[in-house]
Formats: sequence, structure tokens, C-alpha cells
Amino acid sequence: MKLSNSRFEQIAAIVRKDFVIGLRRRATFAAMMMFALTAVASLSLSTGGIFVEAKFLAALLWVVIFFAASAGISGTFDDEAQAGTLPTLKLYADAQAILFGKMIYVLLSLVALTIFILPIFLILFDVAVENFFLLLATILLGLIGIAAAGTLTAALTTSATVKGGLFPILLFPITLPIFLPAISLTELSFTGGAFDSSSLVVMVAFDLILVTAASILYDYL
Amino acid sequence: MNKILILLTLAICASIIFFFPPIKGLGDLAKIIFFHVPTAWVAVIAFFASAFFAAKFLRTFNFSFDKLSARAARLGFIFVLLSTISGAIFSKLTWGAYWNWDPRQTTIFVLILIYGAYLTLRAAVSDEKVRAKVSAVYSLLSVLTVPFLVFIIPRMYFSLHPSPVLNSAGKIEMDSIVLIVLIAAVVDATLIFVQLMRREIS
Repeated sequence: MKLSNSRFEQIAAIVRKDFVIGLRRRATFAAMMMFALTAVASLSLSTGGIFVEAKFLAALLWVVIFFAASAGISGTFDDEAQAGTLPTLKLYADAQAILFGKMIYVLLSLVALTIFILPIFLILFDVAVENFFLLLATILLGLIGIAAAGTLTAALTTSATVKGGLFPILLFPITLPIFLPAISLTELSFTGGAFDSSSLVVMVAFDLILVTAASILYDYL
Repeated sequence: MNKILILLTLAICASIIFFFPPIKGLGDLAKIIFFHVPTAWVAVIAFFASAFFAAKFLRTFNFSFDKLSARAARLGFIFVLLSTISGAIFSKLTWGAYWNWDPRQTTIFVLILIYGAYLTLRAAVSDEKVRAKVSAVYSLLSVLTVPFLVFIIPRMYFSLHPSPVLNSAGKIEMDSIVLIVLIAAVVDATLIFVQLMRREIS
């Protein structure tokens, strides 16, 4: 393996490596997508025919995204941990490059998840989106926050002996400042009401804080 | 120190139970507010104490800071539960419902979730060194959410927070005594927390 010099090359190499492994094994992707599909289907089936309020729909969408993301990204560092290759990886790339490479990979897989599940959600619940741009912006900002907090949380839980359910327990309180504005903005994108741009500012600010904190704290692990 | 604290606690309890008239329109049980405020205060103090010791651990890798951080979180978890339950009882008396996701109730519930997650994480990691690092990192990460929640939540939900209720019921009519006892109770609870933190360390 060629020793990459610039940090950008290192990050790109790690994203590529994870992407190839993810495609080769498919199980993680498949589990995440099927989890989201199952969740949406069960919600839609159980509320079938009932009028569901926009606020409730927005909350449902984010609950689905949160738990599907948890199922998909909790094992971000498990491959390296199981094979014991994380120290070797750290010889090729520095710790920050590994973190950001993983974070970008996680974000890309979450974007893929949303591209898959959002149309299904909108069709099954028969949602008329009034402000599509706002919806996409809100989801992207939310996913960035989940990716930043989720990557660090995944690094924390790899060493845990008891894993079942640990990841969402840890992730939820940290990402709550993302979900609350995200849900209200998503609701507004469904109803088309005038939105308060300060909610978007809060999301951007918290995303930046999560990315910075993940970057600082990862060095201590 | 222990004896002084026991005496102080007993004195505060006695003065609340025997000397205070019932809060108007709320009955004797509403005096639980004198238990609620100090426990809530300590729950928040313990949260920041845990994060402070976590930061010290990551700087020094001295494991006694990890122990302190864990102990602060354990004590904080107990205090936050006591505070939530007593707050819910007071809420039932004043608002007619135990729970309605008032901003303060939401924040304290998030605090319960964070404490619970932290303690679960500690229980789930068996290697001592890894556990210390991992839980310190989580402690610091969770502290970041607090200012945001304090800023966001009140904008999202309507608050019925009881400070005006308390004022009209007690503080204005017998302000100085109530205030003194309340402050004494807060100081007492803080000292109890400090004393429990110091136990076994020396």
C-alpha cells in the first residue's frame, strides 16, 4: 500500500476502502435499508387510512431515520476492531484522517439511506411536500449531525462487551439538539408554513460543534 | 462533618415540616418543593462535576479522576431521579398532571437519559483503561448538548414553569424565611454531595 502524504488523500483512501468493503459485504447496507423499510411499512400499515398530522409525520420520519441509522452505523469501527487492524491503519493514516474518512463514509451511507427511504415514506403516507428545498436542507443538516456524533459513538462502543441497544442509547441524548429543530422544520416543509431561519442556524452550529468535538475527542481514544 | 450535616438536614426538615404553614391552596405535600429544588441543583452540579473530572482524567490519565467522574455520575443519577419524582409530584399539585413535557421537565429527562447512557456505557466496557477513556469522552460529549437544549427547548414548547406559582404561594408573603430555608436546603444538599464525593478517596 502506498503511503499517502496529504491528509486529503488519506481521507479519500479510507472512504474508498470502507466503501469497497461495504459493497463487497452488503450486509450492513442491506440491514440498514431493510430496517428502514420495515419501520416505515409497520408505521404505515398500523396507521393505514387514518389522517396523520404533519407534526406527527415529521416525528415519525426522524424516528425511522434515527433507528435505521443506528442499525447501520453502530458497527463503523467493528471490522477493524475484530481484525485488530486499527493500529495498522493508524500507521498508514493519522487518527484525524481515519475519523474524517469514517465520518464521510457514514454520511454517504446515511444519504443513500435517505434517498431510498424518503420517497417510500412520502408515498406510503401520502405526504404533499410544500417546501422541498427546506426538507432536503433539514435532512442533510440532520444527517451531518448524526454522522459526526454517530462516528464518535461507534468508536466508543466498539470496545463494549455488551452491545445490544447500546449505540442508540448513547447517540440519542447527544443528537437531541438536532432532532428538535429538525422535526419542527420538517413539519413546516410539509405544511408550507413560514419557517424560522434561526432553527437552521441552530442546526448548522450544532453540526459544527459535533464535528469539532468528535475531532478533538477522538485523539484521546 | 458528617454529624454537622445530619444535624443541619434534620433542622431543615423539622423547620419545613413543623414551622411552615401549608402553601396556600396546595396543601402540605407542596412542601416537597424544598426537597425538589436542592436535588435538582445537585443533579446539575454533579453532571458538570463528572465532566470536569472526565476532562482532568483525559489530561492526566490519573485513574482516581476516572473514579471521581464515575462517582459524580452515579450520585447525579440518584439525585436526578429524586428530583424528577419530587418535581412530578409538585407538578401534579400545581398543574394537575404529573408530566406534560414542560421545558424543565424535558431538560431534566434528557439529563436522566445522559446519566443512564453514561452508566450503561461504563457497565458495558470491561477493560478498565478503555472504560475510563470511553466514558470520559462520552461525558464531555454529552456536556455540549446542555447549552443547546437550554436554548432550544424553551423556544419549542410553552412553559408553565412554577416560579410565579411559588412566588404567589410563598415567597412574597414570607419571602425571607422561605428563601433562607431554601438556600440552607440547597447548601445542605450540595455539602452532602461533596461529602459523598470525598468518601473513600482519602
